[in-house]
Amino acid sequence: MTSTQAVDEIVRSEYEHGFVTEIESDTLPPGLDEGVVRAISARKGEPEFMTEWRLKAYRHWLTMPTPHWAAVHYPPIDYQAISYFSAPKRPEDAPKSLDEIDPALLETYEKLGIPIEEQKALAGIAVDAVFDSVSVATTFRESLAEAGVIFCAISEAVHDHPELIQKYLGSVVPHTDNYYAGLNAAVFSDGTFVYVPEGVRCPMELSTYFRINARNTGQFERTLIIAERGSYVSYLEGCTAPQRDENQLHAAVVELIAMDDAEIKYSTVQNWYPGDERGRGGIYNFVTKRGDCRGARSKISWTQVETGSAITWKYPSCILRGDDSVGEFYSVAVTKGRQQADTGTKMIHLGRNTRSTIVSKGISAGEGQQTYRGLVRISQRAAGARNHTQCDSLLIGDRCSANTIPYIEVKHPSANLEHEATTSKISEDQLFYCRSRGLTAEDAVSMIVNGFCKEVFNELPMEFAVEAQKLLSISLEGAVG
Amino acid sequence: MSDQAPTGFETWLVAAGSAAGEHEWLDRQRRHAAEQVRELGVPNTKHESWRYTSLKRLLETGFSRVDETRVDDLVPAGIDAYLVPGLDSHRIVMVNGHYSPRLSALGELPPGVRIGALREFLTSDPDALRERLNAVIGPQQPLFSALNTAGSDDGLVVLLERGAILERPIELIHLAVGMEVPRVAQPRHLIALAEGAQAALIERYISLNPELYCTNSVLELALGRDATLYHDRIQMESPQAFHITGLYLDQAANSHYQGVNIGLGGAWARTDIIARFSGEHAQCRLQGLYLAGDQQLMDYHLDVEHAVPNCTSQENFKGILYGKGRAVFDGRVLVARNAQRTDAAMSNKNLMLSEHAEVDTKPQLEIHADDVKCSHGTTVGQIDAEMLFYLRSRGLSASLARRMLCLGFAGEIIESIHHEAVREVVAEQVGARLESAPLD
Repeated sequence: MTSTQAVDEIVRSEYEHGFVTEIESDTLPPGLDEGVVRAISARKGEPEFMTEWRLKAYRHWLTMPTPHWAAVHYPPIDYQAISYFSAPKRPEDAPKSLDEIDPALLETYEKLGIPIEEQKALAGIAVDAVFDSVSVATTFRESLAEAGVIFCAISEAVHDHPELIQKYLGSVVPHTDNYYAGLNAAVFSDGTFVYVPEGVRCPMELSTYFRINARNTGQFERTLIIAERGSYVSYLEGCTAPQRDENQLHAAVVELIAMDDAEIKYSTVQNWYPGDERGRGGIYNFVTKRGDCRGARSKISWTQVETGSAITWKYPSCILRGDDSVGEFYSVAVTKGRQQADTGTKMIHLGRNTRSTIVSKGISAGEGQQTYRGLVRISQRAAGARNHTQCDSLLIGDRCSANTIPYIEVKHPSANLEHEATTSKISEDQLFYCRSRGLTAEDAVSMIVNGFCKEVFNELPMEFAVEAQKLLSISLEGAVG
Repeated sequence: MSDQAPTGFETWLVAAGSAAGEHEWLDRQRRHAAEQVRELGVPNTKHESWRYTSLKRLLETGFSRVDETRVDDLVPAGIDAYLVPGLDSHRIVMVNGHYSPRLSALGELPPGVRIGALREFLTSDPDALRERLNAVIGPQQPLFSALNTAGSDDGLVVLLERGAILERPIELIHLAVGMEVPRVAQPRHLIALAEGAQAALIERYISLNPELYCTNSVLELALGRDATLYHDRIQMESPQAFHITGLYLDQAANSHYQGVNIGLGGAWARTDIIARFSGEHAQCRLQGLYLAGDQQLMDYHLDVEHAVPNCTSQENFKGILYGKGRAVFDGRVLVARNAQRTDAAMSNKNLMLSEHAEVDTKPQLEIHADDVKCSHGTTVGQIDAEMLFYLRSRGLSASLARRMLCLGFAGEIIESIHHEAVREVVAEQVGARLESAPLD
C-alpha cells in the first residue's frame, strides 16, 4: 500500500465513522483541507467522479492568490474559520416566533406586502404547517415533468443524471477560472439544476423559491442550466425580501449553456443583509456567473437587481460562441450606507454576427461605493459583431462614489461598438417639479429613480418588476435628506 | 530588491553631461529616481497600465546613449527642408536630445520671457530651476519618467513671468539623426507660466532617416493663475522608432490649457498625459488624432484629476487603424470628494479599416462627488457603407471616397490645431499616409 493510499484510507474511514456517529450534528467543524472536501462529497453520497472533481478544484485553489483588483475593501477572509458543511437547521434552533425577529426586518416585509406565513419562512422561523408555496411547488413539478424539463437540486442531479453533470459541470466556469470559483468547485453545498430538452418551451418561470428543498442551499451555491436546441427557459433567482443568513461569505457559481436556437433568461433580485449602519456583519457576495451561447442563434439574457450585501463582486457574462448569438445584460445596482459593489459584465464575441447589449444603472447613496467594470471583446473571427453599452450612474449625497471602468477590445474591422456613460445627480429641477405637484421629497426621489431604472425593470418578469420597484423605493428611504 | 537597474535599462540611468556634485538638489532627485527605477522593475502585461502594451521588443533592442559631442555635426545641411512654411516662431532644436544652438533660432524675446536649454540654465541660473524641476511630476514617478529624471540629456526651459505674453509661438523640434546603432535620447522640458502669462508651444518630433532609436521625453507644464497655454504636439518619428512621452500638467485657478496630440510616426508610441487641477475654474482640453498602420502601436494613457471644484475638462481622441495597426486608449477622469460642479467629458472614437487592426479602449470615470456632470463615450466602427455609396454614386473611386471620409473623420481634430500653418502640414501628412495605406 503506498502512502497516498494509506492517507486516502484514513480520510475515508474517518468520514465513515463520522457519518455514523455524527448523524445528530450535521455541521463540520470550521476549517478546510482535503479531508473536509472528501467529507462534504461523502456526506452528499456523491459518486467518485464528483469527489475527484472537487479535489482537483481544491488542489488548484490552493495555488491561487486572492484577487485584489476589484474596488472593494474588506478585511482578509480566514478560510479556515468557516464551516463548509452544515445541514438545514433543526427546528429547535430557529427563532420560535416573529417576536424574536429584528423589527426593522419585519417592517420591510410589511412594506413589501409579504404574507405572514412567508414572513416567517423568510425570517427562518420553523414552520410546522405546510404553507402554500410547498403545495404549489408540487403542482409545478408535475407539469414540468410532463414537459420533460428536469428541475431539481444539483445534488439530486449528481445522482440521477450523472452523465449530464459530467458533461456540463465546470464546462463554462472551470475551477481554474478565479479564486472564488475554485473555492466553490471544491466545497459547493447545493444549488439548482435545470435541463430543458430539445424544442421544449418551459411552461412556467422557474424559481428557486418554488423548489421545496431549495432552502438553506448554503453559502456556496452552484447552479447549472442547460437549454437544448430550440428550447426556452426563464429562471428567477432570489427574492425581494431581505433574507436572514448567518453565512457572511457567499461564493456562488452559475453556469448557463444554450444550444442552437435556445434562449435562457436569468433574472436575479439580490437583497441580502447589507450590514448595520457602520457596515458590520453584512454579506460578502462573490459570485461567478457565466453563460455560454454554444449554439447558433442562441440567446442568453441576464437581468439583475442588486440592492443587498455589504460587498458585491459579480460579473454575469456571455460567451457568444455560436454565430448570430445574442447576449444581454440589464442591471440595477444600489449601494447605500457602507455598501460596496464592483459589478458589470463581460461580452466575449467569438461567433459571426453576434450581438450584445449592456444597460447598467448604478445608484449610489450615503457612503455607498459602486464600480461598473465591463469587458467587451470582439475576437478576430467575430465578423459583423455589434455591441451597445450604456452605463449610467446616479449619485445621491456627496459622500458616495461611482466608478465606471469599461474595457473594450476589438480585433475585427466590421465590429460596431458604442459605449456611453454618464454620471449625474438628481436634478433640482426634476425634484422641484415633482414637489410642486404635491409629492414628498422622498416620493419624488423614488419616482425619479424608478424612471432612471425603467429600462432594466422592463426586462424583469412582471411580478418581479413590481416588487423590484417597491424594493428600490424602500432601499432609498432615508437616503435623501 | 537589487542595486542593479532592470535589465535593458542600465544605460538609461546615466545622466548626460552634468558631473555628479554640480548641484546637490539635482543629484538627490536623480538618485531618488534611479532608486525608484530599481524598485519598480520592468512592468509586464499584468500591470494595469501595461495591459495591452508589451515592452518585449523595446527590451530586446538594447539602446546605448547618444554621443553628445557629435550632435552638431550630424545635420550639416541644416533643417530648412523640415520647417513649417510660413511659421514665425522662437525655434529651439534638439538633436538626439541635445540642444543645437546652430540650428535653433530664438529671435528676440519680449520682457519677462526666458527661453533656453536646460543645461544652460543649470549653469547660469540653477536657482530658477531648483523649485521647479520635478515639482509638477512629484517624487512618485512611473518607470519611464523616472528613467528620464535619473538620466535626462538636455531640454527646453520656458519661464514666463507674471503677465508676460508671448505673441509668437515657441517651436520645439526634436530631430533624430545618425543613429547607426539603436540609441535612446531622453529630453526633459519644463514650461512654467506665472500668473496671467500666455504662450503657445509647438512640439515636433522628426527623424531624418528611417532609423531605429528611442525617444523618452518628459514635459512638465505648470500653469499659474489665469495663465493660458496652447500646445500642439506632432509626433512623426521614424517608422522604426520607439517613442515615449510623459506629459505632466498642473493647472492653477482660472488657467486654460489646450493640447492637441497628433500621433503619426513610430513603430511603438506610448504617451501618458497626467493633468491635475490645483485651482478652481480651470479648463483643460485634450485632443488627439492617431493613425496606426503596418505594425504600428499607438498607446495613449490619459489621467485627469479634478482635485478641486468647478473645473472643466474635455478629452476627445480619434483614431484611424489600418494594416496591422494597433491602438490603446486608456483614459481616466478622477473627481475627488469635494470637487463639486466638475464638468468632464471624454470621448474616444476609432475607425477600423482592416482585418488585422486592433483597438483596446478603456475610458474610465471615478467619481466621488455628487454635483457633477461627467460623461464618456466610445465607438469603434468602420466607414459607413451608405456614405461610401453616396460618394461613389457621384463618380468617386472607392479608394478616394474612403480617403475623403477618413479625412473628414480626422478633420475635427486637425481643425483644432492652434496654428494654421501647422494645421496644413498635419492635414498634408495625414492625407499622404492615408494615400499609401491599403484602404481597400
